[in-house]
Amino acid sequence: MSNEVNNSVAPEEEKQYSSFRYGLGAFLAFFGISSATHRASKKRKKLVGDIACYIVLLFGAFLMVYPFWWMVAGAFADTSSMGSSTAILNELVWWPSLSTFDEGYQYGPFNNYVVVLTNAFDLIQTGFTFWRALLNNLIYSIVPVVVGVITSASAAFSFAKINWYGRDIVFFILLAAIMVPGPSIMTAQYSMYNALDWQENGLVLIIPGLFGSIMTAFFIRQFLFGLPTSIIEAAKIDGAGYFRIFCGFILPLAMPAIMAQGLLSFMGCWNNYMGSFIMIPNYSPAINLPHALALLDGSGAGPYASNYAVVIAGSVLCVLPVMILFACFQKTIISSLMLTGSKE
Amino acid sequence: MEKHTAANADAFGIDGAAVAEDALPQKKQKKPINQQKLQDNLWGWIFCLPLIVGTIWFVFICLVAALLLSFTDYSILRGSMFGYLAEMGDHIMHASDGTADPFYWYKTIFDYNYDGMNTYIELAAPYKMNAMGAYLFNTVFYMIGIPIGMILSMFFAVCMTRDIPGANVFRVIYYFPCVASTVSIVYTFKLMFSPTGVINQLFGIDGTDGGNAFVWLQISGNPPNTWNMLTEQEVDSAFMADPFWCQGIISKLVIIIMSVWKGLGGTIILYIAGLSGVNAATKEAAQIDGANGWQIFWKVTMPDLYPTIFYNIVTAVIGGMQIYMEPVLLLGESPLTSGYVSHIYRYGLQGGNPTPSRGAAYGMVLAVMIIIMTLFQFYLDSKNKD
Repeated sequence: MSNEVNNSVAPEEEKQYSSFRYGLGAFLAFFGISSATHRASKKRKKLVGDIACYIVLLFGAFLMVYPFWWMVAGAFADTSSMGSSTAILNELVWWPSLSTFDEGYQYGPFNNYVVVLTNAFDLIQTGFTFWRALLNNLIYSIVPVVVGVITSASAAFSFAKINWYGRDIVFFILLAAIMVPGPSIMTAQYSMYNALDWQENGLVLIIPGLFGSIMTAFFIRQFLFGLPTSIIEAAKIDGAGYFRIFCGFILPLAMPAIMAQGLLSFMGCWNNYMGSFIMIPNYSPAINLPHALALLDGSGAGPYASNYAVVIAGSVLCVLPVMILFACFQKTIISSLMLTGSKE
Repeated sequence: MEKHTAANADAFGIDGAAVAEDALPQKKQKKPINQQKLQDNLWGWIFCLPLIVGTIWFVFICLVAALLLSFTDYSILRGSMFGYLAEMGDHIMHASDGTADPFYWYKTIFDYNYDGMNTYIELAAPYKMNAMGAYLFNTVFYMIGIPIGMILSMFFAVCMTRDIPGANVFRVIYYFPCVASTVSIVYTFKLMFSPTGVINQLFGIDGTDGGNAFVWLQISGNPPNTWNMLTEQEVDSAFMADPFWCQGIISKLVIIIMSVWKGLGGTIILYIAGLSGVNAATKEAAQIDGANGWQIFWKVTMPDLYPTIFYNIVTAVIGGMQIYMEPVLLLGESPLTSGYVSHIYRYGLQGGNPTPSRGAAYGMVLAVMIIIMTLFQFYLDSKNKD
């Protein structure tokens, strides 16, 4: 019916269009845009939309990845021929004009990395090495995260599946604790850690994490709401205590959520520059890797402020572990983040 | 009589037995219930205990301590905070003439000349500005990044939710910057935005030409003011040369670009989750009724997406009020570019004998500001729903 109408109307109106307008209509229809003279097919419309999307997304992806490429390329900038690599790095677009590949370096093309790994950190503290910073970082991000995720999961279990007196009030109080902005209590925490003497030995980045994090507990709790309570009832009837239920059922069943939250907080702890910068004094050997890297530059006054290629090489080494970790577990992490978004 | 009593006794006996029979099973039932409840309470508390202890210790005690500290004259060299707070009555903050003034630190925030504390920044010759105002201005200025990030991430999320192969790969790629360490990112951006760097080369600006080079990351020195270079305006008076909000404005733009770039991936994922929750049936119905893609987006998708957007904005504003690391790492600590947290750090934790009491007072003000902003957003939200 409608086709008939179109057919009957179109020839009459067709005459009113100039040949240019007609050609333009055909041109637009080719790109999936319907106009008065031509109607684009739905398939074409979708194809053109998809291609446009790809172009936009590829452009965006390029913008997202380019600084990382820049970092990797910059770590190969020549350090010694001009006495300073910063001039070369300033002009870097794709590959340094003078790279460590060009000349015979003592340590080969990976000269900047070797400098970071061996003696660069000695200039911020005598005897301090990259390996010490890395070890600190590993301790700060593995110990609190592993213990903290388990304590968070146990709290989540008790909030989601056990009916105890005062649960709602405690939950509300914990919810209120999220609202307290960190910087507001920063100075009081500093004074407290100072009184407890946790600062120079780095305990400040370990002990608070052991008690678990409220946000992690909430996300795991959301996940546990999706698990059937009948499993726990069945286990209870079979005589299992809550501790056994937690270890035997909840931990394995909630593993995806626990893993994702653990990985996310691992990344947060790994990159925790602010915690180290605020709480641990610069002269302490307990500073973490980002803090040590920041001291290499030292706001333009550090030992490597004029020889940035070394700092960039250190940056690559700092980013690489979390990148690899994220690439390996991206499915778990992204799906957990999606769950957060949909549950909100 | 006897019969009667016997009958009575009998009746009582029967009654008593009936009562006993009623009561016995009840008791049997009650006991396990009680034990179950006891178990529930016991284990519920035990499982929750570490988190409760940690929260009370590291959040609530610190919050109360910060509030109390802000009325005292505590500084790190005066010994343990707890001992100091125990005899707090003797240590109430006092003005320079000796009179007790518990709100001393709070007054220094709003009045830069209070009791000669001089918390101001120097502008051109006769002009001074409250340091808190400058820091707060920067903080609010950086929030320009929030709507930009919202729109961009929404755009990319809509692109990614199209039915195209490989959309998941883009999701991962866009999340890379969120994972990377801020310190590394800052160094990369610092050099990319150098006068001869990639960005200037992209725009065809010759960075080697000293006077005319477009300097992204410079807040003082020569050329002093990138804003004037941009507008090429005639400079009449000393004050016009440096209105405080112009100083380092280009550097602030770099920080906005960087934080948008870094935060995009996280919001995109939240939006994708929100978009996948939009009712497909409604969409299809609108399509059949002849709505175009634009109309569907605004009339069907947006209302369903509203909770996600609201959540994102609230968290972004709370996070934006606490911006600290990026400006400090990129440009150094300066009242012209740093966020409000720098104000807390600078007066509360810096120097050989830092005064956390002062920082605590400034922190309390920050907390109040964040609470007010959040409540205001919730108020707008409730108004929107009516």
